[in-house]
Amino acid sequence: MKLLTNVRRLRPLLTLRRQRSHDAKASLAAEAPRQPVPTSAQLDELERNVVLRQHQNNLPLIRSLVEQAKDGDPDTLSRLRSELEQLPNATHPRLQDYGVEPRELAQYVHRELPPQANLKEFSELARSLNLFRMDHLGNYTGHKSYYLTGQLAMLEQAIIQYALQAVTGHGFKLISVPDILPREVIESCGMRTEGERTQVYKLDTGECLSGTSEMALAGLYQGKQLSEEQLPLKVTAVSRCYRAETSGLQEEKGIYRVHQFTKVEMFAICTAEQSETELEEFKNIELDLFRCLGLNFRLLDMPPCELGTPAYQKYDIEAWMPGRQMWGELSSCSNCTDYQAKRLGIRYRRSSDGQVLHAHTINGTATAIPRLLIALLESYQRSEGIEIPAVLRPFMDGQELITRNKRIPETKLVKFIKAQI
Amino acid sequence: MLSLRTTLKRCLAAPSRRSISALYITGDKANENYVTLQPYFDFKDTFSDSESLERSIAGRGLDIRVESVLGKYQSYQTYHNQMAKVAEERETVTKRLKELSKAGADADQLEELKERGKSLRNDLKTLKQALYPIEDDFIHDYLHLPNRLHAHCPTGGEAKLLYRHSLPSSGTTQSHLANKDLIHFVDNNRYYLMEQAAHFDVNAMQSLARYFVKHGDFIQTANPDFVRCVLLEANASPMDDYYLVREEHLQNKINTAYLTGGAAFESYLGAMTKLCVYPSVLPLRYVCCGRSYSRAEAKLYGPDPSLYTATQSNAVQSFVATQTADEADAQMEQILNLAIDFYKALDVPFRITYAPATALTPAESLRAVIEVYAPSLQRYVCVGRISNYGDFVSKRILFSTRREKHYDFLHLVGGPVLYTSRLIAALLEHGVNLADCQLPGTPASQDAQQNGLQQFKDLFA
Repeated sequence: MKLLTNVRRLRPLLTLRRQRSHDAKASLAAEAPRQPVPTSAQLDELERNVVLRQHQNNLPLIRSLVEQAKDGDPDTLSRLRSELEQLPNATHPRLQDYGVEPRELAQYVHRELPPQANLKEFSELARSLNLFRMDHLGNYTGHKSYYLTGQLAMLEQAIIQYALQAVTGHGFKLISVPDILPREVIESCGMRTEGERTQVYKLDTGECLSGTSEMALAGLYQGKQLSEEQLPLKVTAVSRCYRAETSGLQEEKGIYRVHQFTKVEMFAICTAEQSETELEEFKNIELDLFRCLGLNFRLLDMPPCELGTPAYQKYDIEAWMPGRQMWGELSSCSNCTDYQAKRLGIRYRRSSDGQVLHAHTINGTATAIPRLLIALLESYQRSEGIEIPAVLRPFMDGQELITRNKRIPETKLVKFIKAQI
Repeated sequence: MLSLRTTLKRCLAAPSRRSISALYITGDKANENYVTLQPYFDFKDTFSDSESLERSIAGRGLDIRVESVLGKYQSYQTYHNQMAKVAEERETVTKRLKELSKAGADADQLEELKERGKSLRNDLKTLKQALYPIEDDFIHDYLHLPNRLHAHCPTGGEAKLLYRHSLPSSGTTQSHLANKDLIHFVDNNRYYLMEQAAHFDVNAMQSLARYFVKHGDFIQTANPDFVRCVLLEANASPMDDYYLVREEHLQNKINTAYLTGGAAFESYLGAMTKLCVYPSVLPLRYVCCGRSYSRAEAKLYGPDPSLYTATQSNAVQSFVATQTADEADAQMEQILNLAIDFYKALDVPFRITYAPATALTPAESLRAVIEVYAPSLQRYVCVGRISNYGDFVSKRILFSTRREKHYDFLHLVGGPVLYTSRLIAALLEHGVNLADCQLPGTPASQDAQQNGLQQFKDLFA
C-alpha cells in the first residue's frame, strides 16, 4: 500500500475534471493548489509503477513540468495536472513479481467434452442452425454487427434473467442506466475518449457511448457523500455496451470481439477496509454463475500490465471454448480502490470519527452475452443441436434443446433487380 | 418532412455542388462513393396512378408538384431512350464489323465502320455526361415522393379512434418525476430507474416479446444498434430523430452510422437488404427486445423533459413481411390485438388511433398509435406505433420473394409495441405498484421465483 499512500500525497495536484467542468471559466491560477510539488523520490516510485504496468511513461514529462511549475505558470500547472490524471492506479503488492503473465489460481471442470474432431466453432454452429447472421452487413448496420435469431435471441434474454436473479439474490439492487454519457464521466472512470486508439464512440453532440454500465453507475454517485452504514452499496445493471475497438485477429473472429453487446454488470461502492473482501465476493459470485452454467473455466490473477488504468488488482475468468480450442475471457472483476472515487468525488463519512473519506469502487461482469454464447454453444453442442443448460431452462419455457429453425429464411442475397424505365 | 437535400448535407463531410444520396449514386460519382445498394425504381407503378399519388401528397400536406417530377421523368426517359438507341446502334456496328472482318471485306468499308463505331462511342459518352445531372435531379425528386396512403388513413388532420380501454379520470396528478426513490432524471439523454421501476423496465420488455413469440408465433431476434444512412434514407426516416455516430475510420463518407438502437424498425432492414426469401417462410414475423434511442418525442414536446420525452428506452419492436397487401392488413391487426392483450392486463387507460396522414413519414401508408393516458400531462402519450409500409421500403432495399420468374417485393408492417420508459411514467402517475403488475408472457416458473424473491425482500421491508 506504500505506492498508494504516495499517490494520495499528490491528491491536491490531482484536481478533478469534475471541478474543472463545474467552473471552467475560473482562472487556472486561482484554482491551482499552492502546496509542495512531489519530491523526486515520489516521482521515482510513480515511474516504477508506470513501468511495471507497461503504461505509457509520462514521468519524464511530469518531472520537467514539476520543475517548470515552480514558477506558478497556470498553463504549466494545468498541463501537469492533466499528465498526473493520466497516471494509472497503484498496484497490489502481491502482483509485483508476476511479470507479464497472469497467474492461474484454479481450474474448474464441469463437463466432459466430446472428442475434438466433432466439435464446431460458434459461428459455424449457429449458422448451421440458422440462428445467427454476421455476413454482408457492414454497409447497412456496420462493421462486425450481428443478428441473433430464434432460440439464440431467446437464450440472450434467458441469460440476462438468470444473471439478474443470481446477483439480486446476493443483495445487488437493479438500476436502469443510460448508455449516452458526458465525456467527463467516462474519463473519470479511467477511459480515454481522445486519440487514435480510443475505444469510446462519440456522437455528433460530443457526448459518448458508454463502454460498460460501470461508467453510468459510477456517474450516478458522482459528487455524493454517503454514510458508512450505506456501504458496501451494491448495484447491478443490464446495459448495451459500445466499443470502438476492432480486431483482425483470427482467434477473435465472429462475435468474440464486437462493437455492441449486452452485459449484466455488478458495481459496488465501499470503504477502503471493505474493498479487498468485496472483490473476493464479486469473484465468488462470478465463479458460481459459470459453475451453475456447467462450463469449464479457469480463474486468473492478472499481472500489473493487464490491469488497465484504474484497477489496483483484477481477476479474470476464462472459459474453455472447445470449438475454437482456446481460453476466452468471459468475465473479470477489479478493485479500483479510490481511483474512480477521487475523480468523481464519491465520498463517505466514517462513523467512528465523522471524517469524510474517498470511497473505493469495485466492478465486475456478471454476464457479457456474446462470449458467453460462444462458450455455451461450443460446450453444449450435440449432433442434433445444442443442449440448453438446466439453470437456463426455467427462462426458456422449459425448452431443453436448441434446434434448426426452418421458418427463418436463409441468407440468399440478390445483387440487383432490373426495373423498366 | 425533412428535405432530402438537408439530409444529405448532414451526411456529407465535404460540401458538394450536386447533392448526393447514399441510396442513389450516379456513375460519375461512383468512383469516390461506393455504391452499396441499387434500389428498384418502379417508375411505371408510381406514375401510372398519379391521382392517388397526388392524394397522398395533399393528405400529408407536402409541398411537392407531381407534374414537375413527371416532367423531369420524361426528360430523363428521353435521354435514357436516346442512350439506349445509340448503344444499340453501336452494338450493331460492332457486330457487323466482326462479321465483315471475318469475311475479309475491303479496308475502306471496315475503316468506315470503325469510324462510325468511334463516333457512336463518343456520342454515348457525351449523352452519359449530359444525363448525370438530369438523372440526379430527377431521382432525388423521385426519392422524395411519398408512399400512397392506405384507405384507412385519415386525411382530415385528425386521428381516428380505433380502440379504447377505460376512460381517464379527471383531475391532475403529480409528475412521475416526483417519485425520487424510483427515478433519477438528469436530462433527456440521462435517467436512472431504481427498485421496482428497474425490474419492470426489463421484465415488461421481455414478457411482451415472449407473449408475441408464444401467442403470435413470432420469431425473436436481437439486432444491431447502429443503422447506416442508406437504410434510413430507404425508410425515409427523419434523420435528426437519431444521433450520428462519429467513426474514426469511415470508409464511405456518405454512408454514416446512426444510433437507432436494436429495437428500431430500421435496425431490421439491415438483415432484409437484398434478401430474397422463399414464399414458404411468409408471413415472416419477427419481434425483438432492445434499446431504442430516438429524439422524436423530445423534438415534439421539448420544453418539459421527462421519461415521456427521454431519448433512450427499452423497447419491443415488431417486424412482419407478407406477400400481399391484404396479408399485411391482417398482420397489422394481429400485432395490435397482441398489444391490446398486454395493455389490457395492466388495466391502464389506453387507446389505439390511426394517425392522420400529416403525421406519417413518407414511407408509411398507415400508422396505428398505441397511447397510454398520462395524468400529469392530461393527454395520451405514444407507447407504441405500428405502421404499414406496403412494398415502398422493400423496393428500395430489394427485399423480395421469387414467384416463378418474377420478384415480388414484400409488404412490410411493424414498429415498436412498447417503450418501457413512457409506460413506467404513466403507470406511476396512475398510482400503480409496478411490482404487482401482471405481465402477460412471463413464464410461470419465473413468476413464482420473482414472487418468492419479493416475499423474501418484504420480510425485511
